Amino acid sequence: MADDSEWIVESIAGYLGSPEWVIPVTDFMEHKCTVFDDEDENKLSYTEIHQQYKQLVEKLLESYMKEVGISEHQFLEACSSPFAKSKAVQAVFQPVVATDDFQLFKSLMVQKNMELQLQALRVMEERNGMLPDCLTDGVDSMGELEQQELCILKEVLRRSKEEYEQEMAIRTLSDDETGSCSTSSSDRMVVDHMDTPPARDTPPAEVIHTSQMSESSVMGRGEGERADGRDRADSGRVCPKPAAGRGSGSKVLGVLRVPVKGVEPKMSGSQAAESWLEEAWREAGISKSFTELSEVQQEQLQQRALYLRQQRDKLQALRKEQQPKPTKELSAAPVPAPASLEISMEEKKRLQKRKQLAEKLKEEVIKK
Amino acid sequence: MGEVQKGLFSVIQKLKGTTEQELRIVLLGLDNAGKTTLLRKLASEDVNTITPTQGFNIKSVASNGMKLNVWDIGGQRKIRSFWKKYLENTDLLIYVIDSADKKRFEETGLELSELIDEENMKGVPVLIFANKQDLATASPASEIAEGLNLHTYRDRKWQIQACSALSGEGVQDGMNWISSNILNAKKTT
Repeated sequence: MADDSEWIVESIAGYLGSPEWVIPVTDFMEHKCTVFDDEDENKLSYTEIHQQYKQLVEKLLESYMKEVGISEHQFLEACSSPFAKSKAVQAVFQPVVATDDFQLFKSLMVQKNMELQLQALRVMEERNGMLPDCLTDGVDSMGELEQQELCILKEVLRRSKEEYEQEMAIRTLSDDETGSCSTSSSDRMVVDHMDTPPARDTPPAEVIHTSQMSESSVMGRGEGERADGRDRADSGRVCPKPAAGRGSGSKVLGVLRVPVKGVEPKMSGSQAAESWLEEAWREAGISKSFTELSEVQQEQLQQRALYLRQQRDKLQALRKEQQPKPTKELSAAPVPAPASLEISMEEKKRLQKRKQLAEKLKEEVIKK
Repeated sequence: MGEVQKGLFSVIQKLKGTTEQELRIVLLGLDNAGKTTLLRKLASEDVNTITPTQGFNIKSVASNGMKLNVWDIGGQRKIRSFWKKYLENTDLLIYVIDSADKKRFEETGLELSELIDEENMKGVPVLIFANKQDLATASPASEIAEGLNLHTYRDRKWQIQACSALSGEGVQDGMNWISSNILNAKKTT
């Protein structure tokens, strides 16, 4: 008899795990759970849904028992056996017990509703990159600090996009007017190709991509020392007032600019030059954008940019001599921590020189 | 369906395997009678921030070794038609009356007699709380009992209890009546 009841309980437990049961029941819950919240007071509509649930479970169980040939009496007996009282079996039978236990049913529905909401949020986040403000304002969904961080991130993304666009505009301009710039950029391509080992035929874009990926993955872990180096790089080339008086923002800014740099590593020098120019204009009180400047000013600025690029190229050549294959190390290592350290040393030197240049440039522009 | 439901019901009782005595109690009455306040009082919760119930509240309260599952359903006119959906398998009806709301004594009497006539309420004991006795204008319980013609109830146990859900006075007396009358009656069946 004991064996008999054990078999019956196991059989029904098995049915409760089978698609014949799981699909209709889950389907029901997913469709009906949206009205369930975890307010203390219950809505009248819950009762209606609970009734429907009861009917569904009864129908399913009844047809299964008929199919397998378990009588209600046998089932009753089996349920009183000690085996049916074990914790594992009790957990499996929870959806059945929920037909008679409204509180249990409600908790299952509330849980399901929350699961679906979280899923929806995740999908939204994946699609848009971030959540709309209306969904992040909730007190318990996100801390104030996280919200602040989100704001900073948005600001940073916006700025870096602006910078990139500005740079592109300037680049196309200078490409049109002076051929030398494009020559220098193609020179750089050559240099970079020489940097990579000859056997490797991966296109440079891919190298850039992978290095960027690894960089961003490292970044995701919030690594301190690297961020440190970037902060320095940052202060060298980015806005004079750190993110409009947002002290905590500077670190995030530093971290986040790197992917941009990673996308266009060859342009980092000219980007820096543009930043300096921008800075200089601002300090000189020229708030107009580059294209609004007079032709003479534009030309002068371009000359300076060109000069800075040439300086940068020289520095790169110098660096290439000192370190034959830095790019290879960078792209080959999954986590380019050692390579980046060396680079940051290099960068320090370069930055110092750049800073001097920037100072000179500033003086010149301001004097005018 | 009735057969299967009964079967399933007993299956679940077996599955739960609780040896504790459980009572299903429905708490009804007109809006503003004090049902939710009474429920909160029974559960020893705060009674100062109660708003009109739009749906229903459930609380499980331990009392005299029993587990009371008390269902408090909103009493506004527009949702009174839902009451009968909650009467199935009910062991006891608690009906709450605002003793100071004389203008609606007739209305509350009508609602009660309608409930009593429900099929699912056949033979189900009734405990009536003559609530808000803390108000000076409250009618005494005996007067209310007379107005409700309680003495004509012959098919069930009934009791009227003066109380103040706000202060808690008289509430325990009502609970004691439940344990001594309903519990014993249930054991014998």
